[in-house]
Amino acid sequence: MIARRLRAVIVCGALFALLASAVPATAAVQVFFPRGEQLVAVQRPGTTVEDALRALLRGPTAQERRAGFRTYIPRGTATRSVRISGSRVTVDFGPKIMQGLNAEGLNARLTQVVFTATGTGATSARVLINGGTVLGVFPGIDASVPLTRASLRTPKGPTPLPTAPGTGVPTAETTALQQRLADLGFLPADAVDGRPGPRTTTGVIAFQKWARLGRDGVAGPATQAALAAATRPAPVTAGGPGRRVELLLDRQVVLAIENNAVVRVIHASSGAAATPTPPGSYAVTRKEARSWSVPFQVWLPYAAYFVGGIAFHEYSDVPVSPASHGCVRQTSFDARWLFDFLSVGTPVRVVAAS
Amino acid sequence: MSPRRALAALALAALAALPAAASAAPPTIEPGTLTVALNMPSDGFQVGAVRGREVVAARGYEIDLANAIATRLGVEAEFVHEPRFGSLLSAGAKPWDLALAQVSATDARRTAVDFSVPYLTADQGVLLSIATTARPTTIADLRGLRLCAQKGSTGADLIATTIAPTVPVLLPASTVVLTRGLASGRCEAVVFDAPGLTHLRSQVPTRYGPFAGVIRTGESYGAVFAKGNRLRGPVNRAIAALRKDGTLKALSARWLTSDLPRLPVLR
Repeated sequence: MIARRLRAVIVCGALFALLASAVPATAAVQVFFPRGEQLVAVQRPGTTVEDALRALLRGPTAQERRAGFRTYIPRGTATRSVRISGSRVTVDFGPKIMQGLNAEGLNARLTQVVFTATGTGATSARVLINGGTVLGVFPGIDASVPLTRASLRTPKGPTPLPTAPGTGVPTAETTALQQRLADLGFLPADAVDGRPGPRTTTGVIAFQKWARLGRDGVAGPATQAALAAATRPAPVTAGGPGRRVELLLDRQVVLAIENNAVVRVIHASSGAAATPTPPGSYAVTRKEARSWSVPFQVWLPYAAYFVGGIAFHEYSDVPVSPASHGCVRQTSFDARWLFDFLSVGTPVRVVAAS
Repeated sequence: MSPRRALAALALAALAALPAAASAAPPTIEPGTLTVALNMPSDGFQVGAVRGREVVAARGYEIDLANAIATRLGVEAEFVHEPRFGSLLSAGAKPWDLALAQVSATDARRTAVDFSVPYLTADQGVLLSIATTARPTTIADLRGLRLCAQKGSTGADLIATTIAPTVPVLLPASTVVLTRGLASGRCEAVVFDAPGLTHLRSQVPTRYGPFAGVIRTGESYGAVFAKGNRLRGPVNRAIAALRKDGTLKALSARWLTSDLPRLPVLR
């Protein structure tokens, strides 16, 4: 019941956002809040940049928060002045805007301000603190100059290099482990090369998560015994023919399913406690082989979005527990494979308890 | 500074002022005020906002350090921004009492300015761009890379004297341009103070390449004074007291969280 109500809220939220962006209502301004790894616009009554900024500082509504919208602007942040000169808006904040030490949060905050301030005619926004030019403060974004939406959408630096799968000397023991993991769907078949390394570790973690063992990535006695007795996992929800995926939040794995048989089990990290991935039924809405997260200013290679800014994507750091901003992180060994497996429209089921 | 922190600082200052008042007032340019020059931004050490030379918002290791020194001296810290790193180190009178800008105390610099006792020891770090494919493990490996350092810094000296690269070096005057060059790949590697670099990387790990390692220089950061400034003695005693009571260690833990001790050493 609760799950169904939540799902209804999310669907309503998505529909509302869709309608709102399709029909620019009169006397409405756009305000930007992160949802997953991207900024998403919501409508607020008003006509001026001041109206938009006031609404931004107030934050998302309770309903929007339930649907995964959030803000990185500290409570109590105030503007000292807002000035418009030609196509540039200058927003002067009090010192509260620099509160906090988390780099991603600080950057997301700045992108929210720039996107929201440039919605009503202005094309660039200059951010001041206590009337002064900003030096540092937002790690990785030079805010001493006026910023545009385009500048924040432009990726900084080349895409990260994939992790090396394993360069060790091949051993028979590793081959046997890899073969067993591949037979059960925890490694791709072409990963059986006998070389120990991060790719094999990722497969072991996927198995440990599925089997609810300790997630240390080491094939010790308990893991080996469980592997010997294991059978290929089955989907936890019923579904139609063709391809679909399940994200199991409790086990932190993705099941890639074809004609109701599990093709792969993938080690993933979903949204952290403060930014959880909302359970529900979705479908892939768009695929971007090279996606750039505007709020967090990082690359998201092989991103398949399924609701708002929430996507399956590759990330250099995939902890064994939920750690993301709502998205589903995977290692470079699996992200490309899942990206190719998914099409726009592929059903995605996010399951809280499996 | 938040109003609450300002109040706390004031309260501490009032307490510390009791013993200080018994001795003579510290010889600052403006009585009751310690004017501290900064060279912003430096991630972890000093970031904020400026209007010309006036610092209107600031936070970081060296901001807290300056406030702690001022409290010990029974005065209040006020900050001014010095956009050119080189002018902190030039000879002559200064419009400030002391400068905090991760300045390494060297004999060459001592000919023009005076230094306090060290408040932090640091080596030079080498951070690679995400676009750099080379994985240098020795100083000789660095020679073929396009290296960047801040003009006039220890890193720039180290490149010229120890690394001797075969490719022209880029030496921007500001750290903003330096980090931008590294993020864009124009700099294949940056040589800069290791604590600042590791902090930068830990903040946005996916923006930069791996840390190649540190080059042992055994430098010490000291506060900079105009030659012969009589404030040096009282400031030295304040820094020594802050080391002894654990304040310096706490500042490092708060602002410079990094994996510094685990980095490889380039030889």
